[in-house]
Amino acid sequence: MTAARNGDREAFAHLYRRYARIVHGVLLAKVPLSDVDDLVQDVFMIALRHLPKVRKAEKFGAWLAAIARNRGNDYHRRSRPEDQLADDPPCTHVPSRGDSGDDESAVILETIRSLPDSYRETLILRLVEGMTGPEIAARTGMTHGSVRVNLHRGMQQLREKLSSNQKSSRPEKETL
Amino acid sequence: MDTGNNRTEEEALPKRDAYLWDRSGESDPEIKRLETLLGQFQHDGRVLAFPEIVVNKGWRRFSRGMRWFPAVAATAAAFGAIVLAIFLAYRNEPVSTVPVSGWDVSRVAGTPRVGANSGSLGQANHLGVGQILETDSRSRARLRAEDIGQIEVDPSTRLRLLTMGAGLKRIALDRGTIHTYIWAPAGQFVVDTPSAMTVDLGCAYTLQVDDSGAGLVRTSLGWVGFKLNGHEAFIPAGAACATRPKVGPGTPYFEDASAEFRAALARLDFDNSTPQQRNDDLALVLAQSRKRDALTLWHLLSRVNDNQRASVYDRLQTIAPAPANVTKQGILHLDQAMLDQWWNELGFDDISVWRHWERSWSGTPQKP
Repeated sequence: MTAARNGDREAFAHLYRRYARIVHGVLLAKVPLSDVDDLVQDVFMIALRHLPKVRKAEKFGAWLAAIARNRGNDYHRRSRPEDQLADDPPCTHVPSRGDSGDDESAVILETIRSLPDSYRETLILRLVEGMTGPEIAARTGMTHGSVRVNLHRGMQQLREKLSSNQKSSRPEKETL
Repeated sequence: MDTGNNRTEEEALPKRDAYLWDRSGESDPEIKRLETLLGQFQHDGRVLAFPEIVVNKGWRRFSRGMRWFPAVAATAAAFGAIVLAIFLAYRNEPVSTVPVSGWDVSRVAGTPRVGANSGSLGQANHLGVGQILETDSRSRARLRAEDIGQIEVDPSTRLRLLTMGAGLKRIALDRGTIHTYIWAPAGQFVVDTPSAMTVDLGCAYTLQVDDSGAGLVRTSLGWVGFKLNGHEAFIPAGAACATRPKVGPGTPYFEDASAEFRAALARLDFDNSTPQQRNDDLALVLAQSRKRDALTLWHLLSRVNDNQRASVYDRLQTIAPAPANVTKQGILHLDQAMLDQWWNELGFDDISVWRHWERSWSGTPQKP
């Protein structure tokens, strides 16, 4: 952190490698996949400009995640200015990475994104970005208890939603 | 009748969640499959090319900015004059009480209403200190505070935000049902009900209060402390505990205990039974207690009378032996340190967490 604050580009690249999955996951919970990479870059550019403001290295992850959440909210405000709900608008875009994601994965990702904010973010960090609960806690500044609650309750809701989706639409498909 | 051999969901959860938590333990095929399917959306690890980080440009930036100083100064002076004029014009008006911190409110169904104590309720997306949130029989709401957690508010519920300090966050649930998922540090989130104070100790729980003021807490993760005038109860995941106005928390129990066990416990806690009936109920509870019902028996130690305490001690000693330095004599005299030591042996959580935070709470719930 200190080296990056002093202008060491390699040190900042190291921070990027360490925290890119967090930023990517937080954004993926809020915006369409096709826009996530651009927004990840935006978030790190903002971080780069404001790096001297971060006094405590251990708060860097939480600070970065907050920037990513704000950037995700801005994305919706700009694309739908008429929206006036205080809560994050539910994301209705079906994800596509160059339209290559297969249907089932896309449906599952979309189902996760229909969960409450805290669950979808933590579940995406765990199931998509491949981070463990302790890693999520360490890098986002959340407590272990909070991450555990989010994972446990989020997974419970995801199971229920996937199960009801499959019953209603594709009963012949293998159940999760 | 429950023999205690049934493997409940609550018992299975820690094992199943171990893989979800840190990939330890037996791998969960369902989660592995989700990881495989969703891995394609993962960040691709590509490192971006960042522009040069330029530091120590402060003086240059300052001197460049100084070019605009006259214009900035004039604008600031004009703005200051306007602010001063407004202040002088309105200085005799009452000070605004608009809350500056609170919970974000979002509508889940129907028309939940937010308003001040004395005024009429309206629709708002923020619940400030001193304000009320009320749902009717068809509305639901969600409260969220970034550093505290999330509360789902069921229909026919009324709650008030009491404090939102840096340390203690406190709401009052006058009636209805809330489901809380708290990520603030243990001991910082408190819910007052007419019959007990609920203290979050790192958990998710559901709290219900009926029109008489009686309450029920059901913990789904972590543990909750329940307290009224020194009468306290600790409720771990999978357990529940009822409260009654003027009585306070009853004895916690695991929800998979038999109906007979729970009914006898409720009579012991809240009924004005005859001494014989109380002895019979206690005998039934002791006879049906399983290993995990050490939770209930530990609480009973301080709730039964002196004559009954020895039988509770004996049964608890059988199903969950006390640590070596905890004596029967000490327990019969309700030695707090020994009781705490025994609790810590039961494997629920460390009671020192509760003792540490207990000092900062008042034991009296606030009146609606």
